[in-house]
Amino acid sequence: MKVFLIFILSPLYLFFGYLLASEAIVVTDSLGNHISVKLPVRRVVALTSDALETIRAIGAEDLVVGINKNIPKEPLFWPKLKGKPVVGNWMEPNYEALVQIKPDIIICYSRWGKGIEKKISPLGIKLVRLDFYKVNSLKRDVNTLSLLLGKEKEGGNFISWYQKYLNLIKERLKNIKYKPKVYIESYTPFHTDSMGSGGHEMCLLAGGNNIASSIPIPFPRVDPEWVLDKNPDIIIKAVSINGYELNNSTYLKKIREEIINRPGWENIKAIKESRIYIIASDIWAGPRAIVGIMYMAKWFHPHYFKDLNPEDIHKEYLKKFHNLKYRGIYVYP
Amino acid sequence: MLNIKQLDFNYHNIKALEDIGLNLNRGEVLSLVGPNGSGKTTLLKCINRIVKPKKGSIFIDGKDTSKMNSIELAKQIGYVPQATPSKFPMTVFDAVLMGRRPYISWRPTRNDLDIVAQILNVMNLKDMALRDFDQLSGGEKQKVLLARAFAQDPEILLLDEPTNNLDLRHQIEIMELISLMVKEKNISAIMAMHDLNLASRFSDRMVMLKSGRIFSIGNPHEVITSENIRSVYGIEVQINKDNNYPYMLPVKVADERK
Amino acid sequence: MFILKIKCQRKTVKRESIDIYELYKGFTGRKILFIVVLLIVLPSMALVAILQGPASIGIKDAIFSLFHSSTLAHTIIWYLRLPRIVMAILVGIGLSFAGTVFQALLKNPLASPYTLGIASTAGFGAALGIVFNVGILSQYVIAGNAFLFAILSSFIILGVAKWKSSTPETIILAGIAIMYLFSSLTSLIQYQGSMEEVHEIVFWFFGSLSKVSWKEIAMASFMIILPLPILLKWSWDFNLLALGDESAKALGVKVEKTRIIGILLASLITSGAICFTGIIGFIGLVSPHIARMVIGGDHRFLLPASSLIGAILILMADTVSRTIWAPQVIPIGIVTSFIGVPFFFYLLIKRKREYW
Repeated sequence: MKVFLIFILSPLYLFFGYLLASEAIVVTDSLGNHISVKLPVRRVVALTSDALETIRAIGAEDLVVGINKNIPKEPLFWPKLKGKPVVGNWMEPNYEALVQIKPDIIICYSRWGKGIEKKISPLGIKLVRLDFYKVNSLKRDVNTLSLLLGKEKEGGNFISWYQKYLNLIKERLKNIKYKPKVYIESYTPFHTDSMGSGGHEMCLLAGGNNIASSIPIPFPRVDPEWVLDKNPDIIIKAVSINGYELNNSTYLKKIREEIINRPGWENIKAIKESRIYIIASDIWAGPRAIVGIMYMAKWFHPHYFKDLNPEDIHKEYLKKFHNLKYRGIYVYP
Repeated sequence: MLNIKQLDFNYHNIKALEDIGLNLNRGEVLSLVGPNGSGKTTLLKCINRIVKPKKGSIFIDGKDTSKMNSIELAKQIGYVPQATPSKFPMTVFDAVLMGRRPYISWRPTRNDLDIVAQILNVMNLKDMALRDFDQLSGGEKQKVLLARAFAQDPEILLLDEPTNNLDLRHQIEIMELISLMVKEKNISAIMAMHDLNLASRFSDRMVMLKSGRIFSIGNPHEVITSENIRSVYGIEVQINKDNNYPYMLPVKVADERK
Repeated sequence: MFILKIKCQRKTVKRESIDIYELYKGFTGRKILFIVVLLIVLPSMALVAILQGPASIGIKDAIFSLFHSSTLAHTIIWYLRLPRIVMAILVGIGLSFAGTVFQALLKNPLASPYTLGIASTAGFGAALGIVFNVGILSQYVIAGNAFLFAILSSFIILGVAKWKSSTPETIILAGIAIMYLFSSLTSLIQYQGSMEEVHEIVFWFFGSLSKVSWKEIAMASFMIILPLPILLKWSWDFNLLALGDESAKALGVKVEKTRIIGILLASLITSGAICFTGIIGFIGLVSPHIARMVIGGDHRFLLPASSLIGAILILMADTVSRTIWAPQVIPIGIVTSFIGVPFFFYLLIKRKREYW
């Protein structure tokens, strides 16, 4: 009789044991904090587009249960996800929607959105802060994400693909003596990128000398006169636009014209030599920054990158990691 | 020289003035008396067109005031309001100089400045010419406002309760100044007065208003009678006729029996 | 007896009235002197400001560059620094002049060019231009919209004034209502916008002199300078309005007409000043008070003095904003607030009377 009971009840033990002993792992987020997350993670919400793109790149698109409010504006890039419920974005998460969707984790930037943890922990949702927009921390962020979503192999593939091209650029730029002076303008006019920003990093990796590198804050607003004084060789302007959805380069061209026509700027070397380039935010400071870096490397050191076509790399990325056909406009000219 | 005919004025459908008619000659001082709300101030404002009467006409020396433009009217009528605190600093000289505005196009001329200086002298305000208007006492302020009206070189002076809140000395001083100016310059004056005795002493004629209508009009002896005062003010008085103007002493509240 | 007194006084009157006359002349003379001093200070400051900036240009280089148009110094001075300085002076004059007029017309010492809600409506127009790219004058969408909506607000106020009553209280209340309405509408637009657009809207509200060129200066000066002579001519009427509507009317001022047209013109000046540069605060409020402390309330002197003081203040603020953390530029609206607020407290504490 006793044996019979043990035989009947043991699956129950196993079952309860399984419940109690479900794995929790400790991961490191972009701030260096250690976060404990219960596995497996089956439901994910990415509040930032950078995170969402990385999730799809490592093959975890089907785990996404909610999207941020910018995604429906890019139907071509997100054909499968555009219908999912919208939960606001990293500035203004819609907590009610989150409660209804009940994700296991949400992903957000490390630098912004300070009060979110407090609001969601009573709801049983874990917040993991992963940036994905700084090249130097991308590897660690992707590793953390792969661990959480159980996609270690795919994450590894992505990192090695990325690293391959990074190393290629590094190798070719190993012995250069001359670095062109670059003025980087980010999305808002007269705001430049300095230390601590993604743009600054990209510039350095592409072998350029950022004229703003000594300014202590990441996104300072500068005096136009200072740009004239520094007389950069190249001007890079990042524009917040969905390059994938664009059909022509009219908008990018307009932005370029506006910069060229700024009073007094016709005297800047970059403008005189027509070395002013516009870049779309898709390939700027995000998981696809490598494409942007490739373009910039080609502009800064054309001699060393004659055989490389950034567009090919971009095509490769889209096909391999997102199963999408290449389209859209990302740079001008 | 001032003719008012059949004047009506309404405040939001309440008849504030009804069928007012009176005449005023040069060299005359006329007092408007009556309890609060009887329409004294309103009548003054109608005369200098601060408010527009509903019906009726006002003529000065035969000219219809409704046809005059505001500057022309300001040259004819000098208005002395009750002193109110102002929000911006101003010297006494400047305050009186304002009275010359109807005559000044851009810069005050030497003549304007002289006129102001002269008036300040006559009224004993010379020593405070450059002082801040707001820092003066009530009596001094009232004198300055009177000076301003004099600076307008008007044909008619309108005064709204000029002796309110003044000490005895200033009350008499102001009244004497007004009489003097009227006689010297051969102009006229209409004063809304609270104090019946002061009014009767310094006026040539009086108008007693009750609820927006003229109750009694004539020289002080005709208007200041115990029957009139009982009817209009509701008090019993004793009239003293020892001087050449009637002086009333309030005795008690009248019985409400009609 | 009294008449005798007057006769005696009349003999001495002539002599005494000359005394007062001299006194008054001296009084007026001091006011004119102050304005002359300001007229000297302003260009001197401008000359100093020309030499300030992240690109160090000494006096010799500056003079050299006057004659040699190909040098970098020439470009920086003529196309970047000078337009900035000229615009700063224009805006300073415009905002202070308008502020003084508003204080006189509304009989409120706390009135500023923005009391009637112009800042909010202009900001709304700018936001429309930034986020939806919708509006007039395609090349100058943002400025054009800002101007259009600023004028719109004054029309709304004037509509209320004509329809209900044109007392200062009514007008100020209408202005407050407009301010709240358009602030909310602007927030709504910001909510719809992307992060970068919101960023740009916020910075528009901070005010900036970085983007002005000579073309914009020409347009702005047209709108700011044209109404000035008309309003200046009404200095006497502004003086009289301080006595109260009734006294002013009794002295021949067409109170309603003056108020309505005055508000319209002052709004025009303000709109012209802010449509290219954004909202620069405090100057329109504080300059009239500084001027009044020195020169008194006579608008014939107050208006010019207040304008010059405003120009000097903004010039100072602009120079500080681009040199203190060079090459970074602190938005000028922030610097003027930093100057304005402590000064405001100083005025509050120091004033000698309960009135202004």
